[in-house]
Amino acid sequence: MFLKIVKNDFLRNKIVTMTVFVFITLAVILAASAINNIANLIQAMSDLQERAAPADITVMHAGDYDQAEIDQFTEQYHDHIAMQETMILQNIDGSNIHFGQNQTMAGTIQDISFVVQNKKFDFILDLDNEKLDVKEGFVAVPIYFMEQHDLKIGDTITVKSGGDEKEFVISDYARDFEMNSSLTSSKRFVVNQNDYDEMLKMQAGELEYLIEFMLNENGDSAAVQTAYIEAGLPANGPIIEGKIFTMFNAMSDMAVAIVIIFISILLIVIASLCIRLTFLATIDEDIREIGVMKAMGIAKKEIKKVYLNKYRVISVVAGIIGYLISFVAVNLLNGNMRLYISSDLSGSLKYILSFIAPLLVYFMIVMYCKQVLKRIDKISAVEALRSDIMEHGKNRKYSFPLLKNKLFSTNIYMGLRNVLKRFKLYRLLFVIFILCTFILILPLNIYNTMNSPEFSTYMGIGKSDMRIDLRRTDTITEDFIKLEEELKNDDDIEKFALYITSSYPVKNAEGSWDYINIETGDFSVFPLKYLEGRAPEGEGEISLSFANAEKVGLNKKVGDEVTVRVGGEEQTLSVTGIYQDITNGGKTAKAHKSLGVNEEAVLWCIVSMDMAPGVDKRVKMDYYQNTYDSAQVNDIKEYTHQTLGNLIEQMSTVVMGGIAIAIIIAVLITALFLRMLLSKDMSQIAIMRSVGLTSKQISHQYMAGTMMVLVVGIILGVLVSNYLGEFLVSMAMSSMGAAKIEFVHIIWQTGLLCPLALIIAVGLTIFMSCKVAVKDDLSVVLRS
Amino acid sequence: MSNIVEAKSMNKKIALGKDNELHILKDVNLEIEEGEFVSVMGPSGSGKSTLLYNISGMDRITSGSVKFKGREIGSLKEEELAKIRLETMGFIFQDINLLKNLSLIENVMFPALVSKDADKNAVNQKVKKLLKMTGIEKLADHNITQGSGGQLQRVGICRALINDPDIVFGDEPTGALDSKSKEEIMSILAEINKKGTTVMLVTHDVKVAAKTERILFMVDGNIVAQKKMRKYDAQQDDIKQREESIMKWLVENGF
Repeated sequence: MFLKIVKNDFLRNKIVTMTVFVFITLAVILAASAINNIANLIQAMSDLQERAAPADITVMHAGDYDQAEIDQFTEQYHDHIAMQETMILQNIDGSNIHFGQNQTMAGTIQDISFVVQNKKFDFILDLDNEKLDVKEGFVAVPIYFMEQHDLKIGDTITVKSGGDEKEFVISDYARDFEMNSSLTSSKRFVVNQNDYDEMLKMQAGELEYLIEFMLNENGDSAAVQTAYIEAGLPANGPIIEGKIFTMFNAMSDMAVAIVIIFISILLIVIASLCIRLTFLATIDEDIREIGVMKAMGIAKKEIKKVYLNKYRVISVVAGIIGYLISFVAVNLLNGNMRLYISSDLSGSLKYILSFIAPLLVYFMIVMYCKQVLKRIDKISAVEALRSDIMEHGKNRKYSFPLLKNKLFSTNIYMGLRNVLKRFKLYRLLFVIFILCTFILILPLNIYNTMNSPEFSTYMGIGKSDMRIDLRRTDTITEDFIKLEEELKNDDDIEKFALYITSSYPVKNAEGSWDYINIETGDFSVFPLKYLEGRAPEGEGEISLSFANAEKVGLNKKVGDEVTVRVGGEEQTLSVTGIYQDITNGGKTAKAHKSLGVNEEAVLWCIVSMDMAPGVDKRVKMDYYQNTYDSAQVNDIKEYTHQTLGNLIEQMSTVVMGGIAIAIIIAVLITALFLRMLLSKDMSQIAIMRSVGLTSKQISHQYMAGTMMVLVVGIILGVLVSNYLGEFLVSMAMSSMGAAKIEFVHIIWQTGLLCPLALIIAVGLTIFMSCKVAVKDDLSVVLRS
Repeated sequence: MSNIVEAKSMNKKIALGKDNELHILKDVNLEIEEGEFVSVMGPSGSGKSTLLYNISGMDRITSGSVKFKGREIGSLKEEELAKIRLETMGFIFQDINLLKNLSLIENVMFPALVSKDADKNAVNQKVKKLLKMTGIEKLADHNITQGSGGQLQRVGICRALINDPDIVFGDEPTGALDSKSKEEIMSILAEINKKGTTVMLVTHDVKVAAKTERILFMVDGNIVAQKKMRKYDAQQDDIKQREESIMKWLVENGF
């Protein structure tokens, strides 16, 4: 019986029912895929972690080092430390690594190192997550470079040093738990011990040490780090905790999953709005039948069941179909994960977890329907039997009188005022247009911001044309002085500033010492936009990155003091400002150059510069790249691109997807809404025709009203995506170190092109959907 | 006097499912002179209202010919038909059929304001005049839920008259009204007719028909009889006598 009612109802409202069905199915597909992806991510990450056994603490160090001291420390803290191993990295300049047709890896912002597989832990894996075992003459290249340079297994790469060179055949790709992500600025190539020794003889690169510790289950990471620093053990590079690597690895997949869940929620909202519209229309149509049923003594519950069952059936069928399709759809999303985390995503957790999606959608839809159906409770049998009680019950107030209209033709005015008078009805469409504009513009704003040179603000650097990074070598200080001299005399350079980043022990909130990277230099040349306060301008001043100033960091505000140990002496610096920085785990600081350079622990040197007008940036970049061996010369936009890596690419996919989804949803809902509205207004349309209006004139009324809703919706949508969007993105990015993102607005895209695209697509739909049928006899409606 | 409406062999069929159809008007021939006051009577389902809707161009006939002021309305485009309805016809419905989102006064003025060159002041003056004539000037700013059936039907009449039509059609305009309202509405229609507007009504009510000058009697989709009387004049004519004569005539024709 119920199935028969559901079937009849379906036949009566085929298009609407199908649309609701499609939206619910899509919502389930997206939600289930996203949950599936998260489940995969959890399982794959734990599998990768188990097999790679990453270090809990990694200390980077260049220069002198004594393994015996470290062994002694390990022994002393054996309660905390389970294992220790030191990996020796041979850092090779990208320009010395040749591949393909005379190509090199010059220009990469990544530090490239050649290593031998560890013996105890922090293993670098192959694509089957097996520990890499590289044979002599072969190399395993990091996935990052495989993607960047399209390297294939069997290709050769050659490392050149002076007159020597060593050729390797690529045998594998290296999946590296610690350094997979583009946000980690080092990448490890794995070679055989014999080849490694040969490269040492060639003096192919500078040596750097990764002093790694794996802790016991109850080992206290903070205590070990403090003890290590206080013991004066080698640590002139950053100290990195294992959990940062986990975060970097999961970030881009998690971000995509969150965006998809967000879109799925929007779809559920849209499906609910469609259901509301369907209910409003069908209950209005069926109001007499409801009255008859009530008068016959059928319980409210039973009447509601008739309406509810349809959506129960739709939700169950859409849920099952969506759940099944999600297992295919998820393959579109997990490419990145398959490559970087695990090729085998066959874990069973996803089957259980992603089932949450259809269940949740089912309950949300049913709950929503019950809410909407409360209207039935309010209708008494007698009222329901009187026609149009739903519409006429209220005492309407007549605003916007026809005679006061001076601007529009009576028809257009009727259309506009119809929207204002029946806004409750048009509210659905209005919300949809705001949401669609939001879906259309927010990803574009994020993409444009990431793609703009302004993004350097969030990387803790002022806006400049070009940047030279000098890598840590024995000659770094000499190179630095030479470069400074040359820049001073180079007329093509309009302005430049040199910054040296060294690692300093800084007293943390608990009173123990943490190593923090402090950049010194003149920050007035390329001013950075500060969240609070200003850049350090004089002696005894320091500014902190947002992540460092936060409670979990040093817990400092502008005006507070920070104690730094420089050359064995403690110095108290005053915090002048807080800036945003997503590089180096977000924890950096800037101090006036009077702080001096911690020669022992210079990490890198940077030169920011602007070209004089008319100078070819590319030529200048090539010149400095070729003159300084250890330099990486980058266009600032290129630098941002490489740091954000595939996040920008993924965002561009989201932008395209957003545009498609927004336009499809807006077009579908508009068509559906107008179809229902015209059917609801059938009698009013017939009356207007009977008094002498043409169907064209009536169509114009509906077009004018709907276009007004569209334009106002788009304007609000643009504002919401700009302001609320900025707030949401800032919230999401604050964990990375950028707490106040200001979108870069490309006005012709977000203010003109996107709204115009939506206006044209929806406008055409309005034009097509507003056509009033003229074939039927008017008496059929007027007399019914 | 020339004919305002001329129908020849007018047929109207309605499809009922795939192979079934209902033949409502069967070869109807009809002429209505300008300034005439005509009523159509007949049992339910005889096709009275259908006749009205088809000669006013609201419905399309299946075959035959309907001429309005000499123009074949079956061949007119939708825009031309709408123009004729707007400028030369008025329609009064039993269900009144007012626009929900307009006030009573706006319902009356709406058809006049639709024209591009409408003079709002002139329209406003005319509406007030019509409301006064029909005795509802105090209701002008009320909304449509605030009037009685009789009051709303007067609004319907005002709307029908706003563009000075040549003919007013009424589909049982007094059908849902009490006897006092019925009397008043018929007086208004008689007044309009006296001023030269042709009026054609469908009714079940002998009292209504007695105030018209020609009665068409329909049975089963055909006009089977006509009764011509002189124009009703309250001063000279005995209404009771007219009603009895109509009743007798109806019975003779099998009503």
